[in-house]
Amino acid sequence: MPVFKTPFNGYSVKFSPFYEDRLAVATAQNFGILGNGRLHVLSLSPNPSQPFTEIAAYDTADGVYDVAWSESHDSLLVAAVADGSVKLYDTALPPTSNPIRSLREHTREVHSADYNPLRRDSFLTSSWDDTVKLWTLDRPSSLRTFKEHSYCVYSAVWNPRHADVFASASGDCTLRVWDVREPSSTMVFPPHELEVLTCDWNKYDDCIIATASVDKSIKVWDVRSFRVPIAVMNGHGYAVRKVRFSPHVRNLMVSCSYDMTVCVWDFMVEDALVSRYDHHTEFAVGVDMSVLVEGLMASTGWDELVYVWQHGTDPRAP
Amino acid sequence: MPPQNTGAEFGKPTNVDQQDAGEDASKQNSKASVFVNTEPMREEQVQNAVKFLSHPKVRGSPVIYRRNFLEKKGLTKEEIDEAFRRVPDSQPSEQTAGANQDVQRSAQSQALQPGVSGSAGVTTLSRTSSRYSFHWSHALVAVGFLVVSGAGTAILIKKSILPRLKSWIRKIVLEEEYDQLESTDSKPTVVEEVSQAAKAAAAAAAESAKANQEILACRSEERRYFLDVVSLLDKQVQEMKFMNNEIRRLEASSGASYSRQEDYQVNQASSKPVIVNGKRDYGLHSVTSSSQPASVEPSSAPHPKSYMEIMAMIQRGEKPSNIRDIDDSPPNPNQQPSNPRLAPRAKPWEVGQVQHNSTPVFQSQVNGKDLNSGVLDNSDNAVPPWQAKNARIREIDNGVENNGYNAASSQQPIKRTWVPPQPPPVVMSEAAEAIKRPKPLVQKEQILDDQSVHHSSDISDKVMESSELSKSERQMEGSSTNAVLGSAEILEES
Repeated sequence: MPVFKTPFNGYSVKFSPFYEDRLAVATAQNFGILGNGRLHVLSLSPNPSQPFTEIAAYDTADGVYDVAWSESHDSLLVAAVADGSVKLYDTALPPTSNPIRSLREHTREVHSADYNPLRRDSFLTSSWDDTVKLWTLDRPSSLRTFKEHSYCVYSAVWNPRHADVFASASGDCTLRVWDVREPSSTMVFPPHELEVLTCDWNKYDDCIIATASVDKSIKVWDVRSFRVPIAVMNGHGYAVRKVRFSPHVRNLMVSCSYDMTVCVWDFMVEDALVSRYDHHTEFAVGVDMSVLVEGLMASTGWDELVYVWQHGTDPRAP
Repeated sequence: MPPQNTGAEFGKPTNVDQQDAGEDASKQNSKASVFVNTEPMREEQVQNAVKFLSHPKVRGSPVIYRRNFLEKKGLTKEEIDEAFRRVPDSQPSEQTAGANQDVQRSAQSQALQPGVSGSAGVTTLSRTSSRYSFHWSHALVAVGFLVVSGAGTAILIKKSILPRLKSWIRKIVLEEEYDQLESTDSKPTVVEEVSQAAKAAAAAAAESAKANQEILACRSEERRYFLDVVSLLDKQVQEMKFMNNEIRRLEASSGASYSRQEDYQVNQASSKPVIVNGKRDYGLHSVTSSSQPASVEPSSAPHPKSYMEIMAMIQRGEKPSNIRDIDDSPPNPNQQPSNPRLAPRAKPWEVGQVQHNSTPVFQSQVNGKDLNSGVLDNSDNAVPPWQAKNARIREIDNGVENNGYNAASSQQPIKRTWVPPQPPPVVMSEAAEAIKRPKPLVQKEQILDDQSVHHSSDISDKVMESSELSKSERQMEGSSTNAVLGSAEILEES
């Protein structure tokens, strides 16, 4: 299974929605505390001696915390940078023309970026300045700013079935569901007692959302009755940094945690843990499942390694 | 100043209904309301919140903190707003993103429900206005209070401190006069005192000199004794050495039986001078031992600092040394992104989303997608342009179909095996745009027989609209008619 060594600590990995063999990795120097950043665009090749080819690498003045692929342009990337800027990169243009945009509106670190998979023309960025901003590619300034959280917003994720609905997870321990047509959030509830670090919508059931938190648990909720979770999954030893629902299987989800493991769960089953991968030697911070290839997953962590493997196989196998 | 009045709250569900009616999809209406909390208010929670908000300490805190606390406790927006309404004189100012939308919404809601919301709006407006005037008067009162306090302190200073100053100055002046008077009388006494002090000092000096002499004498005596002891010890050492030599000789000549006893004694005796000399030697040893680690410690290469080390560095104010100055600003801020080479692909969960013939269509579509992905791999990069464009057209067509149309299974095989002739590139790109863009035109000119299926479903209309909106971004050229005709020709040829 291919392994890629990044010069900086990994923060996020995302598969391209256009090419099965392409992924982007967001990295930051010095664990993202203070330092430069780099955005890698990698291509998998069947050649076992050189499993990864780096299509492009873009240096930034500050760490890159997250990356999102455009759903409309196969070569476009959105990078969430720690100096508060949102940068757009086009891998089809020469490196000297990149970045093509640097959008500077957030007043603090931008922690996540997500592209609308239905409208394909807009994307969200969430930041430590308590806001979520909505952008389109053609405008130099944001369309809307959603300011209701009272602490860092760690993640903002579009609903895969409703083009105007998204959810935001924040350090103020609440999850908010928004509709961009409404002036304020339509739902708010506290899924955890501690900071909610990540959230993701179920791809096959539009009302199911998963949240994970510093309290080491992952909870799956139905937004129609959010008093009681559908499932609670404990098993991580430390804070859970990211959860992603599988694009191919309704009940499957993957999570990565500060306990250096990547776990796959089936939340409809009593014993939810399906598999656990402990290939990382530092915090596992980013994980993604490919939309185009069923079962293909990638993870990255502060040990500066990016693994790509098929679910069910050993990531460290050669 | 984001005033969110209660009229807007009443108006929200009806507004949503209006919007949905305008968008002409009953399904959307039900789905939009899914993401809004529809559970009834819990009276117990509301009462707890009222108690919380009535607490004097809570009254002093900002409204956003109060709202955030209640949200963390799990109250819904309606319950929070109800609690704010019940507690007198506390503002439920909801933070909103767009003030314009607020104004619009409040205007709309007031128009909708003139009776109820009109009065509610008026009361809230008056409340907000009274809040404004309250603000101003509050500020005025504060300013007045400050002025009064400043004046009061000034007066106090004048009254209390100035007299004190005067008395203090008077005292000093009086003391000076007194001193001047006294100094003339006390001159002779001062001289006497000085002389007495001098005599005492001389006496003390003499005593201390005597004491020093005594100490010196003692020291010299001690030294003598010490020297005597050392000489005696030296003599002993010499005797020991002498004896040792003799014993060795005896050993060598006679036997080992005596030697052990002698050895033991010799050892004991020899340990003492070692101690005396050892103090000096020990000092030397200690010096060398301390120097040894310094030389043995390896000069290790700089290793990657751990997270805690970096945090400590930052807190001390140091910057890690491996940071470079990078200019990551865009060289051309108006650079247009390059044209997309691929059409968006359908997501696995979108496939079969609006199906009526569920399983066979799903499977065929999945198969189609896989095959297309295989084709795409082949057409990656090292392929002549016309093949790549063929793949793109095929993909675009499939993308068009999968974007929400209920594609019949018969359509897929036709699309997969369709190999178009080689049109010139310019026309192809226009055709591609035309196929992507004007959905109704393409529909009408399609010769395949699923036209009726497309027109029959409301859902496809809605999706059509939304996909049109999304694809309006990618309009390259406006020459639609020629391109459409061209695309019709291409399609008819298949």
